[in-house]
Amino acid sequence: MRVLSSKTFTRILGAELDKLMTLPLIWLTLMSTLIINVGLAAAYTSSSLQAEAGTFTILNTGLASMGYVQAGFIIIGIVAVCSEYTAGQIRTTLTTIPWRGWQLTAKYVAVAMVTIPAALIIAATGVLYTFIMMRDTASVAIEINTLIATLVGATGYLTLTSLLSAALGSLIRRTTPVLVTLVSYYFIVGPLMRDALPSIKNYFPDTAGYYMYMVPYANEINALTSVQGTGIVMVWTLILIIIAIVFYRKRDA
Amino acid sequence: MRAFNAELSKLLSLPGIWLAFVIGVLAPAVVAALDSIVEKADIVAGISTRLSDIGYIGLGFGVQGVIIIGVLAISSEYVTESSEAGEGQQITTSLTVIASRLQFLLAKACAVIVISVLLCIVAIMTTVLATQLILGEHAPEFEWTRLIGAVCYWTFTALLSFGITLLTKNGIIPLTVLIINSSVVSFSFLLTKATKLAFYLPDRAGMDMFMSERYLTPVTGGLVMLAWVVVILIVAAIEFRRRDVTA
Repeated sequence: MRVLSSKTFTRILGAELDKLMTLPLIWLTLMSTLIINVGLAAAYTSSSLQAEAGTFTILNTGLASMGYVQAGFIIIGIVAVCSEYTAGQIRTTLTTIPWRGWQLTAKYVAVAMVTIPAALIIAATGVLYTFIMMRDTASVAIEINTLIATLVGATGYLTLTSLLSAALGSLIRRTTPVLVTLVSYYFIVGPLMRDALPSIKNYFPDTAGYYMYMVPYANEINALTSVQGTGIVMVWTLILIIIAIVFYRKRDA
Repeated sequence: MRAFNAELSKLLSLPGIWLAFVIGVLAPAVVAALDSIVEKADIVAGISTRLSDIGYIGLGFGVQGVIIIGVLAISSEYVTESSEAGEGQQITTSLTVIASRLQFLLAKACAVIVISVLLCIVAIMTTVLATQLILGEHAPEFEWTRLIGAVCYWTFTALLSFGITLLTKNGIIPLTVLIINSSVVSFSFLLTKATKLAFYLPDRAGMDMFMSERYLTPVTGGLVMLAWVVVILIVAAIEFRRRDVTA
């Protein structure tokens, strides 16, 4: 990759952000994810309140909906990349920005810039809702440090998931196959594999990512720390991004 | 009939359809195989509690394949072509050729039904084969009534995703929601914990047609799911008739 002046990179980033912000589906997805998250938080909270006291914590209940919410972030990552290919926009993009590696990097940075605040807001609303509903019943107070660490973990996980989806999106380039692959991995293959192959499950992005935001139960064996979890998800994401950039530079658009 | 042939040919030549076939045929067999391997020791010892459901769980997941078919059948009509190809949508061509919208929908729905039924039959064959290979003489008998239930479940699910996509026109969100809902951690399963009414949601009721752990009887389950399908298809058809073609 040729070295670009920082001004050029800023302008590429601006263009990518502009494209991302004007995709109607991104906003639709973010809004529905937020609404679904509050709905799910309500469902989990009410079922936890019926359960015996002491078997749950506010943080784990508030973030229990993360498993579903990640679908929204998978969609954002895929749509950001694959929208270039549906109507031949990619040729205009590469005519105006002929530095492919930088262009794709800028796109990933733009995706992260959109998902970080969105993920933070979504994760925080879930926890906030649970907190308000459980304030009277749950005896355990939340330590502010744990709260911050958990929210940062959740935000990081959702952002990395978006980036991972975006990277896979630039490899496969067609929305439907990427979407089906990722959604069935995260929701069907992943959970099944956790039961079938407990010895290596921690090295896959979904289970490792789970430890980024969940406070592990005390009796859980071979749990990862949040730092280990973050490291594993980051390695997966970076490897996929690098492969995506290499292919993007070599391949016919 | 010619409209039906046309729709069948359009559906079979979609670029994403291979994925639907691969998932629909392989997923049930792989899940059944894994399940059989895990349960084998218990089954041989005769203490397995899940013997009767081996294989059917796979068929419950494999329904993803027909979800893709149902969604793609509609969403592909609404994809905007590239600027080199005139930025049109296939739906304008389709409705120019078949002017009656109901006839168009009927032909398309029939094509979806035929492919779903065929796919489910192939899936059943691979699933039965997989359990036979792994469990040998201990393999459970597959009863015809339950297998027919599974075929109905697949077909109804395909029609349900077809109807929902007809309302949304864009395939991404229905596809995601429906696939998640067919997974181990489905929304409706979560809801059944909160309220008994959730057992009447289409996927829960539909599963009762062939799973042994059920809330409704197979026939009631089937009828409940059919009612959902009919209502959604009618709403979608009315909306589709009133809508401007490319709106």
